Parts: sequence; C-alpha cells; structure tokens
Amino acid sequence: MSETITETKLKHLAAEWIVAGTPVISPVAIKGRFLYMPLLSAEALAFSPETRPANSIKEFFFPKAETLYSYRVQGSSIELSEPSEFAGQQIILGARPCDAAALPILDHVFNWDSVDDFYNRRRTATTIVTIACTKSDDACFCTSVGLGPSATNGSDAMLLEISTGRYEVRCITEKGRQLFAGVTEPGTEPGHVTDAPPRKFDSEKVRAFAETHFEDTFWADHGRTCVGCGACAFTCPTCHCFDIVDAGPSAGSARVRTWDSCQSSQFTQHASGHNPRNSQPARQRQRVLHKFATYPEKFDAILCTGCGNCVRNCPVGLGVLSILTEI
Amino acid sequence: MSDTIQFEPKIIAYVCNWCTYLGADLAGTARLEYPPNVRIVKLPCTGRIDFNLIIKAFEVGADAIIVSGCHPGDCHYTSGNYHARRRWILFRELLNLLGFDLDRIHFAWISAAEGKKFQQVVTEVTEKTRKMGPYSELYAAGSAHLLPQPPHAPSPLETFSGESKLRSEARRLLIEGDVKAVIGYGERGPVIITHPEDAERLVWNNRCTANLAMYLKRKEVKALGKAAIVVKACDERALVVLEKESQLLRENLHVIGMACEGLESPKCVACTSRTPRFADQIIGEAADLIPSQESSPNKLDALMQLPRAQRMAYWVEEFSRCVKCYACRQVCPLCYCERCLVDKNRPITIDPAASTKGNFAWHITRALHLAGRCVGCGACAKACPVGIDLGLMNLQLAKAAKEHFGGYQAGVDLSAELLIGSFAKQDKEEFIK
Repeated sequence: MSETITETKLKHLAAEWIVAGTPVISPVAIKGRFLYMPLLSAEALAFSPETRPANSIKEFFFPKAETLYSYRVQGSSIELSEPSEFAGQQIILGARPCDAAALPILDHVFNWDSVDDFYNRRRTATTIVTIACTKSDDACFCTSVGLGPSATNGSDAMLLEISTGRYEVRCITEKGRQLFAGVTEPGTEPGHVTDAPPRKFDSEKVRAFAETHFEDTFWADHGRTCVGCGACAFTCPTCHCFDIVDAGPSAGSARVRTWDSCQSSQFTQHASGHNPRNSQPARQRQRVLHKFATYPEKFDAILCTGCGNCVRNCPVGLGVLSILTEI
Repeated sequence: MSDTIQFEPKIIAYVCNWCTYLGADLAGTARLEYPPNVRIVKLPCTGRIDFNLIIKAFEVGADAIIVSGCHPGDCHYTSGNYHARRRWILFRELLNLLGFDLDRIHFAWISAAEGKKFQQVVTEVTEKTRKMGPYSELYAAGSAHLLPQPPHAPSPLETFSGESKLRSEARRLLIEGDVKAVIGYGERGPVIITHPEDAERLVWNNRCTANLAMYLKRKEVKALGKAAIVVKACDERALVVLEKESQLLRENLHVIGMACEGLESPKCVACTSRTPRFADQIIGEAADLIPSQESSPNKLDALMQLPRAQRMAYWVEEFSRCVKCYACRQVCPLCYCERCLVDKNRPITIDPAASTKGNFAWHITRALHLAGRCVGCGACAKACPVGIDLGLMNLQLAKAAKEHFGGYQAGVDLSAELLIGSFAKQDKEEFIK
C-alpha cells in the first residue's frame, strides 16, 4: 500500500501555498534550461524533463547575497541594525535527490565552530519535496559518491513517478508527513526510478591519491585549461565558501555575505601580494582536495553529491569528473 | 505643513576642473541666480568621468545628471574631451538598450567664460526634471516579456577533414621545438598540449566553438613559452585586437588557421569570413559562404522595440539570475586586466554582491569596457550558467560603433586605429548642448 498524488493535485496544492504567501521553489524553464526559482504561479510548475536544473537549491538556504547587518554612520557614532527580512516558511517542490542530499552535508559546516543563524533559520523553515530521477546523463555520478537516483538524504518527502502525471509519495520526516497529510490517495503501484548511473570513480582512491600526490604534474596537466571562473562552485549544491563585503552607501550601507569561489585568483591573495595558491592547477587541486580529502577527514562526509552541475556548466568542459576519472 | 510636498529634483553635475567649474564660479561671482538643486562634483577632466559615476549618482537618488567640460579643442589636456565624447556616444546607446531614461542625462560644453550658459543649463535641466518627476523607473521590475528565441537543437557530431592534418602539424611543431605548447580543441573542450604524442588528443569538428584566444592572457599558459594556437576566422579578430592593444607579440605566437565549414546556428549563419587571414598556416578547406537570409529572430530589434520601462524590466529580470561567477569575464579573450575593477575594494567601485545594483553595475562595466573591442565571439553568453543575454549588450555596442564611426568593426582592419583610445574631431555630438 502506498500513497499517491497526481500532478494536477500538486499544482492545486502549489497554488494554495502560493496564495497563502508561502514561496514555492521549483524548477522553472528559462531560455532552454531549467533553474530552481520561486514559482510566480502554479502553472509554471514543471518537473524538469531534463536531468536536472543548472543551478542548485543551496541559494534558498545560503543566498548569493545576504545582508548580515546594515549600518549608519552619523558623526562619530555608528548605528547598526539587523536585517529586516526574516526567513519565513518556504517549500521546495521537485528538487533532485542530489540537491537535497547536499543539505545534511552543509549542516556540518554551518554548525561547526560557530552556529550560523541565517542558514539554520532557513533550514528549519523549509520543507523539501524531492523527485526521484527517471533519467540520468553522462555528467551524473551520484553513485560514485555513495548516493543514488532515489537517495532520500535531506528530503522531507520524495515523489516517485508511477506514470505520466501520477506520483508515489514517500514521506520521510514529520515535516513531509504534515505537508501531505490528507491530500494523498492510496494506491498499489510503486513509483519507478532510473537505473543508477554507472560508478565512474572510486572516492577512496581519489582521497588516497590526493593525499599522496600533492606535488604532482598531474594537476598541471589537468588544471591548465581551467579559466578560473566560479561557474562550478556557484552551481554546486555543496560549495559553500563565502566572502564578506561592505556594500557602500549606494548599495544601502550594509555588510553582505556573498558567494566566493576557490577558483578565483583573488581567493587566497594576501594583502602583501603573496598568493599561496598562485596558479590555476593549484586551485583545481584545492577543489578536489577539499571535496574528497579535507572535508571527509573533518566531517566524515564527501563534499559532493555527484549532481554533475560542474561538468555541465563548465565553459571549457572540465568539472571535477574529468579530473577524477583520470586518477 | 501641507499634504503635498513639492518635488524638488536632485541633480548631480560632473564637471571638469578647467572650464565648467570655472564657468560655475563665474556664474557665482557675477551673481547669476540658478536653482539650488544642483550638486557639483569637480573632476580633473571630462575624460576622467567614469561612467560608473553616472550610474552611481542615479543609484543614490539623483533625478538627473549633468556632465560638462571644455568645448572641443579647448581641453586643458589637449584631447580629454574628445575621448570622453566618443565614450559618451557608445555609453548612451548601451543605457538606451538597458532602458535608462536618456532625458535625465545631459551633456554640455561650458567654458570658463560661460557663466551665463552654466546658469541656463542648470535652470533648464532643473525645470525639465521637475516636470518629469522623481526617477522611480530606475531598476523597476515589471511583467516578464519574452523575446524570440532562436531554435536550438544540438547537431550531431561531425568531424571535419582538416583534423588529421592538424594533428600532424601540431606534432611537427612540438617536435621541432620552437613551439612549446599547442592550444587547441579536445574531445570535451579546449586542451593545451605540450608533448608531441598528445597531438592525438586534438580534434577539429563542429563542437570546436570556443574562442581559444582566451588562454593567451593566462599566466599559466604564458609560462609555457611560445605557443601555437588553433583559430577560426572569427576568433582571429580577437588576436588582431590583442596585438593592437599590445597584449601579444605576434612573433611569439604561431597561429594555426582553420579554414572553417561553419559550426553552429545561428552564429555561423551570419558568418562573413571563413578563412583566417593572418595565420602562419591554413589547414582544411572552407565551405562557401551562403549569404545570410536573416531568418533567425532578431532579439536585439525585438528588445529595442519595447517601451523603455519594459526594456529595463527585462534586464532587471535577466540580471536577477546573475550569481557573479564571472564566467563571462574569464572566457572573454579581451577581458585581460590583471585585476578587474570589480575585484578592487579600496575603494569599492562596483558593489561586489549579486544584488540588483551590483549586477547592473557589473554588466554595464563589462559591456562598456568591451565597447569597440568586442569581436562578437559569443563566448560570454555561452558560458553564462544562468543564461543571461549578455551578447545583446555587446551586439548593441558593436552596432553603435558601426553606425557612428564609419562602419568600424573591431579586429577586422589591421590598419584601423582602435576605436577607444583614439578620436576624430568630427565625431557627431547632437546630444551635447
């Protein structure tokens, strides 16, 4: 016996949530690609027929620009004020398992030495409904990092397609059960999932290699064509590095937290001019090391969910996969 | 206090130190009255008035802006105002595309003897702005408007005849040893090979769309020594601009020109040249040029036909997706500054956050720094992970350069002077009072 729901019913629910003032975030078709965005109307709800959206859901927990506080300078005194926007309830509908799986990983880093209220508030206020994958492509590698097309890590509920427009609902947490309480119908057929994409590399091997080959020509050979943009890091569900900047008066006199990428040459630039990671291959190595060696060592989890966004979004066809498969 | 407070426009005047500021001074000493709505910001020369200052003035609440300096021919620094004029011409075209209200930006030549003219301009601008009301349209969102999308269907992989020749030539060059690295295309994207045996990794097919000139600016590539680069006729234009801007030594680069068969639609449909002209060697055979039938929907025209407020709403929507990954900058062969303006923080010129203001400031800066330089390779738009129509801004500026400056096209004519960095006394100036 399972719980089922139709797409029409889901649209109806989404419309109710939107009307009630709860933002509903879902894949939206924009110029031939899909992006997770707040739905303006339930009609725009489209469970991406593509493998997955080009961005990730992390921006709804860890926004690309977040005001930490605002300030006003008057004479010699400075007046500080808390950001006015409070993170209210939000629902993410139709996220991919590889997006949701990033959240338990990010929880570690935002609650480690200092507890990040901004992140936690949003995390508590969000219900995540994922949709099991029915397709995978060459860039997918969730199985290589211990996940799969129906991994439930981080999901409050998961939808599995039974047939076009009908889904099995699997509630995983209390939040998920509350969201779907009384709106599902009983059914007997189970939802289906795509075959797991083949394992493309062994993460243990990557870790061992990275630790023993810090100084190796491998990195120069494989990182040379990287152009140092942040497309991989900014569309990655797990990359979480940030910078804190002072936006001047024209931008509202605020201290703002913005995303940052280890692939930028300025990331490690010292005020003296010295740069410990002074070449692109060193920065590429850093990204691999952080995801597969440093982070696992500290938190016992790989900092990657195998979504493949870095591969699809890389303007020069790199992404971690092309490096990892060569190890 | 009355219920309705009369609107008093805030006007910022950016003036040059030598003429207009003295003109304002003269107006003062001659006791000429003008509205107190203007705030004067003095700069050394109109040539030093950064367009970011104009954008910033609007952002902090200016309702109109006056930019003024010495009359043509009178510049204290000989030609600062001529250079400024050329930039303003292009700047206005970009602002027009982005939906800014050009009636709120006033340009004037006012000399040190023209206290009267200063009074007149300030009075006129104040009155006009008072009638227009506050500039509330700035960065105002609106209903999303869809532009025609060219159909995009990935075509099947098609390998071209020059591939084996390319591999053997690359191998020969690396064995001979003069060339230390070959920048070419590989199966998944660009590759940089340094060993002759790696020449087998090079490919030449319809997926070779990237402009490899982007690697010439990179420190890691320069460190390899003399490089050979694989270029198509369209990419070659970037080499011409780079050379003219003293960014590369031609004798330190071996150019392998690929005669092209046309790779993708719609870009290659509008192709005007299929065989590189300045390459050290040419490989392959170029297909005949089929004159473009203008069949693909023209987004730029469609956007320009929208009312101003809708144009701005369009860009507000587009830029709202920007995450500031700077892929557009990194893949651009002509964005080669060692430290980009947006990365400078003492002082912060462009809000580094991916906010509405920060994103507008960034995209305006990027487009204007490429004005008269962009070769239209389209790499920026292609690299954008969130699909922003970056190419439209470049296209608008390329069109403006062509229209206003005698058909100028960046990187086409080796003997032509660079558009930005040179000037002509007859550059048109109808919009300057």
